Amino acid sequence: MNNDNIEEILKNIGEEEIPADVHKIAQETSNNFSSSLQRTKQSKQHILLEQIMKSRITKLAAAAVIFIAVIAGLPLLDSKQGVALADVLAKIEQVRAFMYRTKMTMTGAVMSGRPDMKIQTDATVTISNDYGMKMEMVMTDANSGKEEMTQKMYIIPDQKLMISLMPKHKKYMRMEFDDDLLASMKRQNNDPREMIKQIMGSEYTELGRSVIDGIDVEGFHTTDPAFYGGAVENVECTLWVDVEEWLPVRTEMDFKMNEQMQMQGVIYDFQWDIPVVASDFEPVIPDDYTAFATEGMKMPSITEEAALEGLKFFAEITGQYPKKLNLVNLMQEFSAIKNNKNQTDAGMKLKEEMDRGQIDERTKKLTETIVKVQSIGMFYMTLIQNKKEPAYYGETVGPEDTDAVLLRWKISDNEYRIIFGDLSVGNVTAEELARLEKPL
Amino acid sequence: MRQNERLEIFEKLRAKYSVFLLSVLWKLTGDRELFTEAMQYTLMGMWEHIDKLNGRQAGAYIYRIALSSNSRAWRNRIGRNGDFARSRIDIEADPGEKLGRVELTVKVRKAISRLPEKQGRAIVMRYLEQHDYETISEKLCCTKASARSHVSKALAALKEKLATSA
Repeated sequence: MNNDNIEEILKNIGEEEIPADVHKIAQETSNNFSSSLQRTKQSKQHILLEQIMKSRITKLAAAAVIFIAVIAGLPLLDSKQGVALADVLAKIEQVRAFMYRTKMTMTGAVMSGRPDMKIQTDATVTISNDYGMKMEMVMTDANSGKEEMTQKMYIIPDQKLMISLMPKHKKYMRMEFDDDLLASMKRQNNDPREMIKQIMGSEYTELGRSVIDGIDVEGFHTTDPAFYGGAVENVECTLWVDVEEWLPVRTEMDFKMNEQMQMQGVIYDFQWDIPVVASDFEPVIPDDYTAFATEGMKMPSITEEAALEGLKFFAEITGQYPKKLNLVNLMQEFSAIKNNKNQTDAGMKLKEEMDRGQIDERTKKLTETIVKVQSIGMFYMTLIQNKKEPAYYGETVGPEDTDAVLLRWKISDNEYRIIFGDLSVGNVTAEELARLEKPL
Repeated sequence: MRQNERLEIFEKLRAKYSVFLLSVLWKLTGDRELFTEAMQYTLMGMWEHIDKLNGRQAGAYIYRIALSSNSRAWRNRIGRNGDFARSRIDIEADPGEKLGRVELTVKVRKAISRLPEKQGRAIVMRYLEQHDYETISEKLCCTKASARSHVSKALAALKEKLATSA
């Protein structure tokens, strides 16, 4: 490349128009920062956002939890990051390594018509800013006490790799994360910056002082569903913060995953600034472990393209679009195909493929399928998180409704992006959108 | 300095330099994620150094803070190589623009983030802000010839960085 080329590129950059949404991002970022200064206690003024922004690992952790949900076939929405205020998160991010425990209980029917169940997930999570993340998780049927699954999971940020060991099955798997997913995860509720923006922009309440395990704490409570990307309802989340150390002591959460399922959880037993070494975060795969069928697979993408592909796939298999786009409903609706008497040819074929073959092949097929379906839900969550005013009409619009709005979201002040019933896409003005949505 | 005073100065600076920061940081990053990070770093830097920003040199300080914030945002990019996934470029690019061109622009932006502070400023002032050499010389407190020299050296350094990263 010569100087002329470089100069030309530089000139082009200089002449670039700044997109309207970037103006908005700048305004929000600036206002949020200013608000955080105004609202922060004087002794905590140094909100080290630079530390907050080093939270790659927590993003990866969040992505990994979604992956676990994929594998388990039960979309457990991550809530382990909890909610927090800017200075609390800043303080956390100053800690080089810490660990905590979580206990989540999910009750209800995974699918309509199935018996109620109660699954408890206990996890111990260790996070190091230098080396990555490690999580040991046990899922138990709380009714029978039977251990359903154990898993050790490692996130290696430098390699954008997740490695998971399943001792019970002597299996391991590796999955890569792509930049798109990671970037999108930042915008999800799992990214501390986004969480801070949201909580500061929402009507959280200060619960005042209390005492937990002999520690003086102050509580912050929110009921804002946007924390979970609009994917759950009746959100109740409370963060208890040590008033001396300004670090979380306990987070309690309770929300409705859908009509049938409820999730309750607690994050507790935080230990800060623990000593760690690199080898703690390097998985050792025993010789007798074999690769899981999903070896080498990638996490679902969170893009418009992936969502379109997911919708197309869903419609091919089920003959219709999902009624709702939250992750739990999506999975339930999709899982119901095997009991569906009016199956499409593609649905029948998929079911046959799922029913035959070795466990590994079946698992791989299942995972591939779930990843496609989850892409739709994750894309929709991203739209909600980004306040793009999404609206989805899967309950009334089907593949045959070629000109009807299936999904839309805002892309600029007066412009909306639309996915139509025939999965074509286009941009329209607000006025045009109003006309299109009138019959819906 | 008292807290209220610090806040008051910060708010004034925030209002005064909002357009500048928006423009420069967007042109330096060209990516919403990076832009947000760079903006937050900049605001943080302004707040941390608020005591120094209450004078005539405030503009120059903020300039430096913004450029170093941009560098940090790029450095901290996930994966640490600062590369964009191809699919991301596809999505965000002007459909009429060729992929190679977009990738090259990303590389140039990334290379700017790695320039020494003074060279970075020279490039930004000359090309991104489109200042003439007289203005640049005033801002850098040097002669026009020196300003030309800074820009020229910065271009050469940029070229070298791009060659080594290719």
